[in-house]
Amino acid sequence: MSRFTSRERLNRLLAVIPWVVAQDGVALDDVAHRFGYPRDRLEADLLEVVQYVGVYPFTPDTLIEVEIVDDMVWIRYADWFTRPLRVDPAQAVALLAAGQSMLSITGDDDGPLLRGLTKLGAAMGAGDGTVPLQVRLGEGAEEVMAVLRQAVDEHRMVDIDHYVYSRDEWVQRRIEPSRFFADEGQWYVAAFCRRAEDQRVFRVDRIGSATLTDISFTPPDTPDATPVFSADDTTEVRLLLRPEAAWVADQYPNNGVTTRPDGSIEVAMPVTGRSWLERLLLRLGPSVEVLDSGWFDDRLTADAARRILARYR
Amino acid sequence: MSKLERLLNLTAALLDTPRPLLIEEIRERVEGYPDGDDAFKRSFERDKDELRTMGIPVTLAPVPGTDPPREGYRVDRREYAGADPQLAADELAALHLAATFVRLDGVDGEDALRRLGGLVDTGVGAQGPVADLPTPPGLGPLFAAARDARAVTFGYGDDTRRLEPWTVTFAKGRWYVAGFDQVRGAERRFRVDRILGDVTDTGSAAEPRPSTRRDASRLAAWQMGDDEPVRALVAIDADQAPWATHHLGADAVVDTHDDGSVVVALDVTNREALRSFVLTFLEHAEILEPAELRDDMTRWLEARIR
Repeated sequence: MSRFTSRERLNRLLAVIPWVVAQDGVALDDVAHRFGYPRDRLEADLLEVVQYVGVYPFTPDTLIEVEIVDDMVWIRYADWFTRPLRVDPAQAVALLAAGQSMLSITGDDDGPLLRGLTKLGAAMGAGDGTVPLQVRLGEGAEEVMAVLRQAVDEHRMVDIDHYVYSRDEWVQRRIEPSRFFADEGQWYVAAFCRRAEDQRVFRVDRIGSATLTDISFTPPDTPDATPVFSADDTTEVRLLLRPEAAWVADQYPNNGVTTRPDGSIEVAMPVTGRSWLERLLLRLGPSVEVLDSGWFDDRLTADAARRILARYR
Repeated sequence: MSKLERLLNLTAALLDTPRPLLIEEIRERVEGYPDGDDAFKRSFERDKDELRTMGIPVTLAPVPGTDPPREGYRVDRREYAGADPQLAADELAALHLAATFVRLDGVDGEDALRRLGGLVDTGVGAQGPVADLPTPPGLGPLFAAARDARAVTFGYGDDTRRLEPWTVTFAKGRWYVAGFDQVRGAERRFRVDRILGDVTDTGSAAEPRPSTRRDASRLAAWQMGDDEPVRALVAIDADQAPWATHHLGADAVVDTHDDGSVVVALDVTNREALRSFVLTFLEHAEILEPAELRDDMTRWLEARIR
């Protein structure tokens, strides 16, 4: 195996040696499994290399001792390698971030993950025991996330009440969730939607309720690569954005941007839902002018403003 | 002699020595280097760089008693090892599972777990990762600086910033760092992926970190501004209430009606941002108080009708 370079073997041995030293006799198979070290390679490296490692003048009393009897291994006198190499800051962030995230998904308040994470925080955090790291992968109700994750794991169908943001309406669907994931600060679940009879991706914070059913389904063979944003049924809307609203062109997918001499920006955007466009235009107010409203009528903003104003009267 | 054996012997020699070793002492004490001064030097330089790449803290320091003064190499044992969290097998397993679900791009979390006691299986079938987080280059150094109460400098926009980092936060799909900006004399927040060049350690932090650390990324848009502070009451319809409650936190809810609608209280220092937030609910929400914010909203909406 060519990828198992000298450096990688060194790296693994610096973790293996202190662990074996501390065990006072352990099966070679266990070591191989635990450290991802091919069994034959491990035995050879211990007997042919580690055994001859030591310090000047390399007399027997300055060498590491390796003993292998009946597939059990002991390492002694490895005085320089009684402790493993430290975890570097990026690795510490990786473990702490993974642990914190899982805790927020599973809500496991009293399990090994919390215990392990607490120990990690004490060892790798600031001196006062706090950890200067916070990770939020996305927003979503814990109950909903728990149901969806269970459904993905057990291949069970779920009934969801889903808010369609672009059309401002709630829709009931039965879905077959195949993957639960976070992207760009949001939780999503990828699923086959029985109502649409197609693959869909749902934002978890827009699922109002999720109920696990007893009906199982056969998951797709290959994890789907459904894009988070699929562009079905869209119309193109052209907007003129004042400079202070230029962020709109950065934040949303668009079909082209032209900057005018006065600094204002003309952008062509694919739009699916009326409500989505209403929100955007109402928020932007005088900072936007609609050049072409696509299949929506020109009175879109005014109509929405009237509906909201009715509440205030 | 194999390269692996030479690297292990070199590491042992550098850990073993109480004082820095001159390069010729290393040549004498570590077997397996080629003959010839230049060949030895090249080979040693490569080895030293490999050890450093792995994270072994090989330092260069003056060798006592040399005249003229010379420098040598060693590895401090305490720096080499770091603190031991003493993880039990079930804790290692839980962290292993977490590390397969949530990953940092380009960072080997499994390598870290090997150093902490090995990869213990949980028996749970892999579903594939739930999240791959970006790893901007400044992330590790900023975390280390926050942890160790160090000050750093880095390029940001057209400026060089001097920051005493307090917290690194992943939110809304990005890494942020919050801390005390030494030049501006106030708390500031930066996007880690916008940092230009290296994050450089400049010494101990001078300012005590706040005891209850505010998480700047959690601040809502309507709290990021300098308007006169005011408390707003907003009514939100039942079908939007669960999302709003979750998003704003249960503490924000001051009233729940029989129909499921709620009233939330929001502390506002950016009125424009509050208006934008309330408008995202379209006709499913309404500013109740204070009158000035309510009037501001109606004026804004009337202007949209013209």
